[in-house]
Amino acid sequence: MKKSVLSTLTLVGICAVMAILLALTNFITAPIIKQNQEAAANKALLEVMPNGEKFEKVEFDAETLPKTVTEVYKEKNGGYVITLTTTGYNSGLVIMCGINADGTVSGAVCLASQETLGKEKTYGDEFVGKKSAEVDATDTISGATKTTTAYRNAIKDAINASIILGGGTVDIRSEEEILLDNLLAALPAGEGKFTNLFIAEVISGIDAVYTADNGTGSVYVIGDEFYGVPTGGTSDNENVAAAHAVLSASTVEDIDLSAFEGLPKRLVSAKVTATGNYILEVEGAGFGIMNDEEYIHSSGEYIIVRVSITPDGKIIDTLTVYQAESEGIGDACAKESFYGQFDGKTEETYKDIDAISGATYTTNGYLKAIENAFAALKVLKGGNE
Amino acid sequence: MMKNNNLSVLLKGLIKENPVFVLILGTCPTLATTTNVTGAFGMGIAALVVLVCSNILISLLRKIIPDSVRIPCYIVVIAGFVTIVQMVVHAFFPSLYDMLGVYLPLITVNCIILGRAEMFASKNTVGKSALDGIGMGLGFTLALLAMSTIREVFGAASFAGVAIPFLEPYKIEFLTKAPGGMLVFGCMIALVYIITKGKAPKKTSFSCAACPNAANCLTGCSDAPDAETEKGDA
Repeated sequence: MKKSVLSTLTLVGICAVMAILLALTNFITAPIIKQNQEAAANKALLEVMPNGEKFEKVEFDAETLPKTVTEVYKEKNGGYVITLTTTGYNSGLVIMCGINADGTVSGAVCLASQETLGKEKTYGDEFVGKKSAEVDATDTISGATKTTTAYRNAIKDAINASIILGGGTVDIRSEEEILLDNLLAALPAGEGKFTNLFIAEVISGIDAVYTADNGTGSVYVIGDEFYGVPTGGTSDNENVAAAHAVLSASTVEDIDLSAFEGLPKRLVSAKVTATGNYILEVEGAGFGIMNDEEYIHSSGEYIIVRVSITPDGKIIDTLTVYQAESEGIGDACAKESFYGQFDGKTEETYKDIDAISGATYTTNGYLKAIENAFAALKVLKGGNE
Repeated sequence: MMKNNNLSVLLKGLIKENPVFVLILGTCPTLATTTNVTGAFGMGIAALVVLVCSNILISLLRKIIPDSVRIPCYIVVIAGFVTIVQMVVHAFFPSLYDMLGVYLPLITVNCIILGRAEMFASKNTVGKSALDGIGMGLGFTLALLAMSTIREVFGAASFAGVAIPFLEPYKIEFLTKAPGGMLVFGCMIALVYIITKGKAPKKTSFSCAACPNAANCLTGCSDAPDAETEKGDA
């Protein structure tokens, strides 16, 4: 009995001695180990924020930040290091971006990517010291429009996220979402679906007209103002009321193309309004048809452009009715920001527009379609006289 | 005479009683950490430090530790030192810590250390135990270095991470894998057997009497038939 008690006490004693030794060692090594681990974890963060001091991971509500943001670290002096996952030419473009407390970019690196050129690996250096407004003015990666755009947008998202995290407010809605919100505010009965109305009448002081798909009315846009006009109703705004009256009274009539000779081959259809304006649909050989009749490439499909022109040759409105251009490049011809450029142009000035970057064939095909529309206009007018 | 005796205690671990190639102890870390020289050297030194410290402490306590609880006591001492070494390596040599991974804490169950505590430190003076720890530790380190040099130079065409370009086209990648390690291990055992002319210590040399099963052992340890050494590994 006595022996077993002694054995136990000895073992306990040895355990106690070793525990003290361990505690002493831990006392010395624990802070060094912690420091080492932090340094290792911060190494990547320091790459994008060389002057950063102490980084702390931030939990955030994904709803409040741009969708690309995946990870956020807050730096001691108010900066943020933000990891974003976006899609360039391929998905999985992961960018880590440091934003200083003053909103400038402290650095950006590409952590993972499957882009074709590989130049995105060093592209982040372009943005050092840039503010949000200066991001789009950086040099592009030549031959990699999609990568450039995705990278720039990611940097802008990071800056926006840092502002939101810092307590500020930034509109992170996309252009489409903002437009839809404005339209709904002007015409709540529209219920979320609006179509940009193709205008074939000369109306002054109006930038755009949208009609609700459920037929409850139209919304007139003048600058930043949105005026809703319910079906059968009118507006207090003089310009809107006048335009609405003109558009409501507008009638169109089909033109029988076979009655004319010498029309451009690519004219699909033509209509004329009671006020004498022409609505022409013309095909344009974009990237889908490369060199028109000689060589059929990829989709083999034409871009179809609808354009309304006054009898004296001024474009009222343009719309891309159909296109099968390269996704993410040439398909920009279907955006209002491109075809909207033709509004008000004449035969002399229609070429004076910004080309679609990276899509020369699409741009040229589109211009050819407009050229054909003017050519058709001359023949159709001649026939009327 | 005394001095000679001490020298032999120190030197016997290098070849004559080399823990890896003669006593066949610590096979697991030997195979696992000898794929590169740096890791093997780090492992050897870490084991040496633990071995020396635990040998000294166990020798100091050899008269206090009751026979019935000696194994738990040894384990506590060894585990304590291993953890200390682990914390020190983690703090001051983080890359080595990452390289050794789980094999560093596993030194605790390395049979060389427990074996030396049981076979030597529990019966000898502090000085001799320290020398034995150094000798055995060096023997372990040398064995690891020999194995890792062969495996890294011929298997990966590099030495301690420095590439040897002219061997690059001839490297035998098999050697860096576990079976290749076994092959090298076996060849080294054979080589050491030739060097020592088969005079490796008999099983009887290892405190069979201290074995908890000694009384029950049917064959009886004292008249073991051949030169087979005590096998054991964690």
